[in-house]
Amino acid sequence: MDTRLAGMLRPRSRIAETGAAMRLVIRRYDSVTVTGVVTVGYLLTFLWAVGDLSIRADMPAGVLIVDEPLGRVLDRTGPATFEAIAIVDTGVVRLLFSPGNLLLGGFVAGLVGINLAMSYLAIVQPSACGIGTGSGLLASLPALLAGTVCCGPVVLLVLGIQASGLLLTMFAWLLPLGIGLLLASLMYVAGRIDLSEPTQQ
Amino acid sequence: MVAYFPISAAGGGVWRTHNRGTDMPMRGCLSSMPRSPTTDGRRRVLGGIGAVGLTALAGCLGGAGLPAGSSDDGADDDTADENGGPPTVDRSLSKEYPIDRLNEESMDGGPGPDGIPSIDDPAFAPADDPPTNLDGDDPVFGVEFDGEAKAYPQYTLVWHEIVNDVVGGESVAVTYCPLTGTAQGFYRGESEFGVSGQLINSNLVMFDRGTETRWPQMLPVGISGRHTGEYLEEFQVIWTTWDRWREAYPETTVLTEETGHARNYGSDPYGEYNPRSGYYADQQTLFPPLSSDDRFPKKEVVIGARNADGAMAVPKDTLRDRAVIEGTVGGIPYVTVYDGALDTGYVYRNADGTPVEPNGDGFLVNGDTYSPDALPLESEIGFDAMWFAWYGYYPSTEVHE
Repeated sequence: MDTRLAGMLRPRSRIAETGAAMRLVIRRYDSVTVTGVVTVGYLLTFLWAVGDLSIRADMPAGVLIVDEPLGRVLDRTGPATFEAIAIVDTGVVRLLFSPGNLLLGGFVAGLVGINLAMSYLAIVQPSACGIGTGSGLLASLPALLAGTVCCGPVVLLVLGIQASGLLLTMFAWLLPLGIGLLLASLMYVAGRIDLSEPTQQ
Repeated sequence: MVAYFPISAAGGGVWRTHNRGTDMPMRGCLSSMPRSPTTDGRRRVLGGIGAVGLTALAGCLGGAGLPAGSSDDGADDDTADENGGPPTVDRSLSKEYPIDRLNEESMDGGPGPDGIPSIDDPAFAPADDPPTNLDGDDPVFGVEFDGEAKAYPQYTLVWHEIVNDVVGGESVAVTYCPLTGTAQGFYRGESEFGVSGQLINSNLVMFDRGTETRWPQMLPVGISGRHTGEYLEEFQVIWTTWDRWREAYPETTVLTEETGHARNYGSDPYGEYNPRSGYYADQQTLFPPLSSDDRFPKKEVVIGARNADGAMAVPKDTLRDRAVIEGTVGGIPYVTVYDGALDTGYVYRNADGTPVEPNGDGFLVNGDTYSPDALPLESEIGFDAMWFAWYGYYPSTEVHE
């Protein structure tokens, strides 16, 4: 049986491989760099897209904290967005500090970062022939899906698409769908990495 | 400036007219029955370091007759709700869609109930110390009751859509829907309004926290809950600019950014009004309107009014050019006049077809000059709206040009 197919049919084995691949990612300087850059970049984009991060050079530096912040951390402002409990102005950038958005965005960003780092490893250290950059782009779609949901209909506004009931219902499922695809992508790409000793540090 | 205070519980509305000018004859009725202000203990104050920084379209009696737009028997019963809901009135408005259809057309706009938080404990600043983000040409929604004037900046309400407030002793809600460009005021009694997260015809659907009845802002009829089929009581809100409003009302106060919520005030998620751009200027609608018409661009601002006679719309640009626009609604003559000081318009039911002519800053009626908000005719509540939204709700609307 084809080893890759066998791997897919043995979930435990694939989970173990995925764990090993993740350990490999954090052992290599280059893949850690890819993970970090992608994670931070995706998180910043995510926060900008949900409106928590903006350029506000017109506002003086300062911090505002809402009353009873802890009691409002879980207040939702949308299907997958949460209330901000503070405003942080740096004089250039304004951050609406929403722990919920930060955690959710960080989780998705981390998944995207590791996905792309593994894709990078699959290219520089493939376990089989025929692995190309296409696998590296595999994480792009779920990443976009997971990111899009946060902005809801505003995304449609930007894209000039008129919302329908069906489309709005779909929005509610994009985040779990995106996260699910990111996890599946992670396991898929992990099977394409040579898990032997790193060839470079 | 006009504020309308219904004072009768039954048997017809009586309305009080405030004249902004001092040299114009006053017309209208001069008594009122203020409602009790509500007390709101849910104060949420921002703290920390640094500072971020219309009634029933019943209308004024003008001294005689029944309120326009009231039910056929002329009653305009103001019904206080004993279950914590807002006061409702018997009205007969132009009905284009059955309530079942409105419910079918209700769409989830994204945020859940109160996901867009109303401002329930608003803070105000004097006119000479406005929020730093407020420019003179920025749009504000002006309200005046019993000598107390307040301005609600559009850039703040775009994040909240509803302010539960007390103005001149009246418990009111000032509401704004960014997607339809409509600012409307409602009496709320002991209740508060919240944003349901639902939209119909792109228009805000409110709910009252007392009975959880859902109320589409522009209609404004209960479409589900205890008050299904009943109408909210409206008052006039003036869409103008900050410079114009404070010029007309130097003692006004203005809503600050201390709303109790952390929002990126000064940044509008849909576009800009000063100058107009983004959603407010383009031809896109986020949600499909209930009905469409291409006589005007979708975002063209019209002043709309509706009552038992029917619905009417006056393009605001045309009103600016001509100052007086006449037309009919259901065969009844109407006249709309322009207020250059506030860049707004006032709609009057003019059943007798009395001639109205511009005369300086006022209007000549029966030999006397009146300020635009105080013509001796039946005043109707009119409000700015984007054409697609107005036509979507009132496809039978008559256009006056």
